[in-house]
Amino acid sequence: MDFSIPRHRPDFWTWITILILAVLCILLILPILRVLTLGFVDPDTGSLTLGNFIEVFTRNYYLNGLKNTLFVGVLGTLGACLIGIPLAFFTTRFLIRGKTLISTLAILVLVSPPFISAYAWIMMMGSNGVITNFFDGIGINIPTIYGAHGIILVFSLKFFPFIFLMTQTALNAVNKSFEDAAENLGCSPWQRFVKVTLPLVFPAVSTGAIICFVLSIADFGTPAILGRGFRTLSTIALSAYRSELGGPPTMAVTVSILMMAISMIALVAQRRILANRRYASSLTNLPVAVKLSGWKNAAVHFFSHGIVFLAMLPSAVVVYTSFLKTNGPVFVGGFGLESYDRIWRDAPDAIYNSFLFAIIAVTFITITSGLISYVIVRRDTKAAAAIDFLMMVPYLVPGVVMAIGFVTVFRNGMPNFFGSAVLLVMIYFIRRLPYGVRSTTSSLRQIKPSLEEAAVNLGATPLGAFVKITVPLIFPGIVVGALMSFITAINELSSTLILYDAGTITMPVKVYVAVLDGEFGLAAALSTILLLSTGACVYAVFRFAENRNSAFL
Amino acid sequence: MASVEISGLRKLYGDVVALSDINISVPSGTFFTLLGPSGCGKTTLLRTIAGFHQQSAGLITIDGSSIEHLPAHQRDVAMVFQDYAVFPHLSVRDNVAFGLKQRRIPAIEITRQVEEVLEVVELGKFVDRMPHELSGGQQQRVGLARAIVVRPKVLLMDEPLSNLDARLRVDLRAELRRIQRDLGITTIYVTHDQEEALAMSDVVCVMEGGIIQQAAAPIDVYLRPSNRFVASFVGANNFLKVENLKGESVLKCCGGSVSQHLPADPAGPVVCALRPEDISVKVDEDPSSFLNTKISIPVQIKEVSFVGREMEIFATTDNGEALKAVGRSDSNVIALPIDSRAWFCVERENLSFFKDNELGERV
Repeated sequence: MDFSIPRHRPDFWTWITILILAVLCILLILPILRVLTLGFVDPDTGSLTLGNFIEVFTRNYYLNGLKNTLFVGVLGTLGACLIGIPLAFFTTRFLIRGKTLISTLAILVLVSPPFISAYAWIMMMGSNGVITNFFDGIGINIPTIYGAHGIILVFSLKFFPFIFLMTQTALNAVNKSFEDAAENLGCSPWQRFVKVTLPLVFPAVSTGAIICFVLSIADFGTPAILGRGFRTLSTIALSAYRSELGGPPTMAVTVSILMMAISMIALVAQRRILANRRYASSLTNLPVAVKLSGWKNAAVHFFSHGIVFLAMLPSAVVVYTSFLKTNGPVFVGGFGLESYDRIWRDAPDAIYNSFLFAIIAVTFITITSGLISYVIVRRDTKAAAAIDFLMMVPYLVPGVVMAIGFVTVFRNGMPNFFGSAVLLVMIYFIRRLPYGVRSTTSSLRQIKPSLEEAAVNLGATPLGAFVKITVPLIFPGIVVGALMSFITAINELSSTLILYDAGTITMPVKVYVAVLDGEFGLAAALSTILLLSTGACVYAVFRFAENRNSAFL
Repeated sequence: MASVEISGLRKLYGDVVALSDINISVPSGTFFTLLGPSGCGKTTLLRTIAGFHQQSAGLITIDGSSIEHLPAHQRDVAMVFQDYAVFPHLSVRDNVAFGLKQRRIPAIEITRQVEEVLEVVELGKFVDRMPHELSGGQQQRVGLARAIVVRPKVLLMDEPLSNLDARLRVDLRAELRRIQRDLGITTIYVTHDQEEALAMSDVVCVMEGGIIQQAAAPIDVYLRPSNRFVASFVGANNFLKVENLKGESVLKCCGGSVSQHLPADPAGPVVCALRPEDISVKVDEDPSSFLNTKISIPVQIKEVSFVGREMEIFATTDNGEALKAVGRSDSNVIALPIDSRAWFCVERENLSFFKDNELGERV
């Protein structure tokens, strides 16, 4: 329904639209544009040049980084598909005991930060890992987790929930008649799956895969912790940034452009492939879950529960480790609370900062996303469409890139004008804003515009109608959006690493530094606090969300 | 109570004309209905009056003063919505009190007025219910109470009954009209249901293609439709081609045997309209008894369907034009085999003539 107000009478929402666009220009477009332009500038002469890109595409250091990034990105995504698709199929088409548990654990895996599982794997399969030592003891030499295969393993086990949850939703919406028809026309169950079911859920699978791929490209913590000389573009960008401190971060920016380009190309390619594949399906004939028996039943159960067990293992190991007795960085056997004691002595500021920054950012996100979603859903203007599009951008820009953009815009020529704390809150705000907007937008789409019109018609101002009618009605969506942005903000590592200083260290950074220093006990205790707050938020989302799975995607 | 004047109103969406040169005058206390098929512009016109759309040109005045500069929340025209738009998170009392609170009326006065208006719409017992505990009809009563309690200058209703089931629709129709009469409130009502429009309105305004086709009392719209669209949209009509011979029109299907003088001599081709309910079907009767007194058309029966209270007879004339007649059920007619011959008879004064062009003005 058209609710547009003509140009000659700017109303409340017109001003809000202008305000939103201004904020997005400063916090989103400007940093990205700065990154884009700096990449084409010669750092010494200041003239326009393609030299930076020539350097990236000719020097092995960068070329290997590019190859490595694509290698772990593609194989990690493939691994996630190989885990996620069968899991989705099993849980929708067969009767599986503990199906809700599987979904819940998958969601927990989804929201827990990847660098935690990376270092948990080190504790299990690193040079001095529990599993490594165990096999060593019985005379078997197994490869350590370090290197490309370890990163791929962590990516697969970390990102499969995207594929799993999206494919599961799609499989639940496939009309059973299609599968019946295929069977009736002579397909074996396997043929039916490959020729009919899989193509029907391809849009969901590919959307999940593209999210996995983009997140793999952007991920900093996993290759930084597990890489050991295996460098990806995100770790290269950070080292370049550090080595260029003092001058313009030209090479860091050039690598950043490359990372954005990869994400962008992947997204465009997926959109192209999907363009002609929209299968509307009436749900007259709901799919049913079949009860398996014998070894098939056992195998399917073993796979489904085994996968989520394996994916949850790192978090369990971290929590377990946090309660081990330590003496400094050394585990001395037995249980104790020394690690938590050390947090209070060494890192209370990290906990305080993490919660402070996340809560301030989320407060702004919550207010802004309410206003933005109203503009996107209710206003049929070009500006609203532009805002809608801009809300996709933060997903595509890796944290390292965004942070470098922030540095070039807000620290360039105005030292200390914006303190680190302000920059961190601003970058959490802009990077996690889409989580809030997405949730409130989908809530608002279910509210009839006539309700707001009725309020205005009865004498409420546009703002009054929004506050008295719209906000109470989309409140669950606002809460879910706030929780989702809080989870992702408090676990933020890559951009914080670039922007933090001595007074603004956060929990993820402290964990990262502790892991690099071999302080596994301290890291485990901090990670446990992160995992606990994340878990509490997930529980709250379950309470508020109408559809618990879709809230996380 | 107030009168509404709309003059030269236009509304464009890009190149699409939604409303074209609308001129309406709604006297104070009138029940004025905008009737038309979906997409005819009736809802756009109503929403423009409410201030949800801004007109491209033209003037809307209430009691002589223009409201064009007023934003929607200052217009003092209360609206009843098709989907009720009852606030789901507020009780019946708070829903009805919403507009009064916006007008900063004292709390005691609000309580009194809310209870009073809920008695009027027969919801006195439901004052503390939540909307989801109410039926559709009850929700729409809340919508009505919420609108009239603020004593608006004009009451706007956008297909308020269309989401209700048939029986409730008829009951609530009478009640709406009663309340409107008692309050004497100027009402602009949008509907696509012609029966509703004819039954409730002081003035029916038929719209099509963003243009007002006819605005008149219900009986005049029905008996003297101003053009071919109104004739076919309000009630049913058969249209027959007419050969226009110098002022003397001859129903072509009857090979010159049926003739009719036109009141004026129109230029160009003309069609003749006859309503199905004005046709009487004659079988097995001596044609000489009626041929001279009535227009009689020889037809071939194609189908007779019995729908209870009445029967519908579908037939074709000798040159293949389709005709429909509706009449009191008659077992002799219902038993007729397909392709049997009969006469369709009409009184001369029940025929209307329209130009056979795009506008189709009445002749």
